[in-house]
Amino acid sequence: MRRAGVVLLLVVAGCHSNDPIGPPVVPGKVVLAATVPIAPNYGVHDTFIRNGIAMVCVWNSGLLIYDVGNGIKSGTPYKPVLVGSVVPSSDGIGAGPEIHNAWWFWNPTNGEKKYLFLGQEGPGKVGSQSSGDIHVIDVSNLTTPSEVGFFHLTGAGTHNFWMDEAHQILYAAYYDAGVVSIDVSGTLSGDISSRLIHQVTPGTVGDTTYTWGVQLYHGSVYAIDMMSGLTQLSTDSTGALARVAGSNNVPARFSSDLSVDTSAGYVYTGTWDHQQRTGLAGSVVYVWSLSGSGAPTLVDSITTTQVGAVSDVKVSPDGKLLMFTTEAGPNSGFYFYSLANPAAPSFLDYYQTGTEGIHTGKWAEIGGHLYAFGAKNPSNPALIILDVTGLDN
Amino acid sequence: MVMIRAATGGERLVLEGAADFEGLTIKNAELTPGAWGEGFADRRHPHTYVHELMLLAPDLLRDLGLPAHLSLGLGKGFVPFGTDDPMSRPVERFPVNHHLSQILERAVAMAGVQAGPAELEGSLFNGDEPQRPDQWPKVSRLGDSWSLRFTLRPAQGFEWEVSRAFVRSPETRDAQGLDASKWSSAVRWNGPVLGKPVYAMLEWSQSTAPGVYTLHSALFETQVQTGAHQPYLRLERTDRPEEERTLDPFVVLRPIVDNSILGVTRWTIGTLGYAALAGRVWKVSLKPFVEGSLIGITQVGGGIFNPKVFYGKEQHWSLTGGVRLAWGMTAHRMGRYDEGPGAMAMPMGAR
Repeated sequence: MRRAGVVLLLVVAGCHSNDPIGPPVVPGKVVLAATVPIAPNYGVHDTFIRNGIAMVCVWNSGLLIYDVGNGIKSGTPYKPVLVGSVVPSSDGIGAGPEIHNAWWFWNPTNGEKKYLFLGQEGPGKVGSQSSGDIHVIDVSNLTTPSEVGFFHLTGAGTHNFWMDEAHQILYAAYYDAGVVSIDVSGTLSGDISSRLIHQVTPGTVGDTTYTWGVQLYHGSVYAIDMMSGLTQLSTDSTGALARVAGSNNVPARFSSDLSVDTSAGYVYTGTWDHQQRTGLAGSVVYVWSLSGSGAPTLVDSITTTQVGAVSDVKVSPDGKLLMFTTEAGPNSGFYFYSLANPAAPSFLDYYQTGTEGIHTGKWAEIGGHLYAFGAKNPSNPALIILDVTGLDN
Repeated sequence: MVMIRAATGGERLVLEGAADFEGLTIKNAELTPGAWGEGFADRRHPHTYVHELMLLAPDLLRDLGLPAHLSLGLGKGFVPFGTDDPMSRPVERFPVNHHLSQILERAVAMAGVQAGPAELEGSLFNGDEPQRPDQWPKVSRLGDSWSLRFTLRPAQGFEWEVSRAFVRSPETRDAQGLDASKWSSAVRWNGPVLGKPVYAMLEWSQSTAPGVYTLHSALFETQVQTGAHQPYLRLERTDRPEEERTLDPFVVLRPIVDNSILGVTRWTIGTLGYAALAGRVWKVSLKPFVEGSLIGITQVGGGIFNPKVFYGKEQHWSLTGGVRLAWGMTAHRMGRYDEGPGAMAMPMGAR
C-alpha cells in the first residue's frame, strides 16, 4: 500500500508539471487569463506576487492568499485557488483594517519566508493628513496566516513598501510623514514601532509631503511624493536616509506611483489627477533618466486623456515592458509600452476594463509566462490576470 | 412631488407618504453651487421616488387619560434629527448643510414621548444614503444607526430642538466607510410679529468623521409676509468635505475606493429672495419667485483641494427664478411626524 501511494503522488506531480498553463502564446496579443471576483468591501486594492503565490489586499476583507502557480493548491494564473486568508485588526481605526498593499519578506540571512507586511490605508485628507499602521502577518503556514505585530507612526499612515531584504530593512512611504526605514530583523512580535530607524521628508519646500511610493536601486531610495515629485534619497546598510537630488520637479500635477528600470537606469512616474493641481487635463507618465550619481532628469512623457489618474506604474522584471494602469474614466485599464528605447517608451497595447478602471497593477513571471495582475475597482471589483507573454518579445 | 395622507377613524393610525419625481425631472441634479451629497457636488441631488412612506401611531396613550403622549412610527422617511427639510422651507436654493442638518430617506423605526411643552424622540435606522432615485434603504442595515431629538415648545409658534445622531457609514452602502457623529440645535419661530406672519430659524449643526474631520454649520433664515408679498433671507456658513470627482466635475466617485477626502471648504452664502402669492389658476396656486446669492468659498485646514484652482475664483453669485405650483391639501411638515396634518408645515413657502 505504501509503495502504491508513492507512485500515485509521482503521477500527480508529473501531471501538474506537464499541464499547459494556458492557451498558446499569440505574439503581440494580451490574453485574459482569469477574473477573480472580490467582495465589494471595497474590493481589491493591490497584489504582491512571489513564487506563484498572490497576496491579494482586499481592504476590509483583509488578505487573501491565492495559489496562482506555486502548486500548493494546484492553482494557476488561469485558475487561481484560494489558500488562506486573514482579516487584520483595525488598530483602532473606525473604518476597519483597510488593507491596501503587501510585501512578503524572504529573509536571505536565515532563509525564512515567515513575515508578510500589510499596509493599512486609513482615512485621511490627501496632502496633509493620513492614518494606518503596518501589520505584521505570520505566513509560515499559508493556509492559516495570523497577525503577530504592528508598526505605528503617530500622526501618519502608511502606503507602498520596498525592502532591502539582505539588510532586513523595510522602506515605507508614509504619506504626510515622508519615507521611513524600519528594522525588521529577527523575531517580530507585538508593537514594533520602536524599530523605526529613520524618517525623512522628500520635499524641499516647507517639508510638505504626501509620499506615495519608494523603490531601492543602487544604494538610493527613490521616493515619489504627490506634492514634490521624484526624489533621490541616499541610504545604506543601516537604513539611514538623506535627501540627495531631485524633488520639486513635478509642479503642475500631483504625482502617483513610480517604478525603476533596474537594467537601464530609468525611472517612470505617474500622476494623480482626481483633483487637478493646476487645471491641466489628462494624466501623465514621466520618464526620468538617472545620471551616474543617480540624480533624475526628465526626458519624456506619455499623456493619457479621459482618466482620473495613472494609478500604478511598473517595469517588467526583464526590463522590456512598461505597464501603467489608469482609473476613473473611459480610457481606464492597462497600458503596455515597449522599453526597447527606455528613454522613449513606445505603445504596444491597451486593455480596457471599464470606466472604474484598475487601482494597481503588478507583474509576475510564472511558468515561463509573463502576467499582469490588476486590481479592478468597484463596482464589481475583481482581481484581473492578463497573460502578457505575447508582448514580451 | 405628490403627498398623501390617510388615517383610520380617530387617527389612531396614519399613513403619510410623499412621491418625488425629481429622478425624472432633474435626473442630473439641480445646479446649486455648494450643494453636495448622494454622488453629486455643486448640484442638488434628486430625491428617491418614494420619498416618504410612514405608518404612524400618533397617540397610543390617548385612552388612558395621561398627561403624556406616546407615538410610534415605522417606514421610510425622515429620521428625528435636526431641522425641517429645505424643500419645505422658504428659500428655493438648498443649503450646503442639508446633509449635516437632516437625515432622510431611511428605513426608520421611531418612538416619541410628549409631555407638556417637552418632547423626546428616538429612532433606529439604516445609515446608508441612497445613491440613485430608485434605490431603497438597505434593510439589512436597519438599526446600525440611531438618533435622539429633544424639542421644547414653551410658547405657541416657538420651538427649540437639540439632536444627536450616530450614522454608520452614510457614504457607502456596504458599510465600509467613515461614520458620522452628529449634533444639531435650532430655534424656530413661526407666528405673528407686529401683526405680520413671520418665519425665522437659527440653526447650528456639526458632523464629525472621527479622527478625520469635523464639519460645522450655522444658518439663519427668515421670511415675512405682507399681503401677497413674501421677501426672504438666508445667511449660511457651512463646511463641506471635498471628495474625488469623476471627469464630470459635478459627479463624485461612487463607489469610493478609499476613505480619504481632498480637503474641506467653507461656504459663506447670503441669499435674498422675493416671492409673491399670485393667485390661482383653476385649483393650482401660483407663486413666482426670484432669489440671488452671493457665495464665498475658502479652504479650511490642509488638503489638496484648492477652490481658487477648481472654480477659478473664490467669490461667486447665482440667480434663480421660477414659479411654485401647488394643488390640493396643505403639505405636512417634512422632518417631523409628531404633529397633525398641515400643522406648522411649510410656513409660507409651500410649493
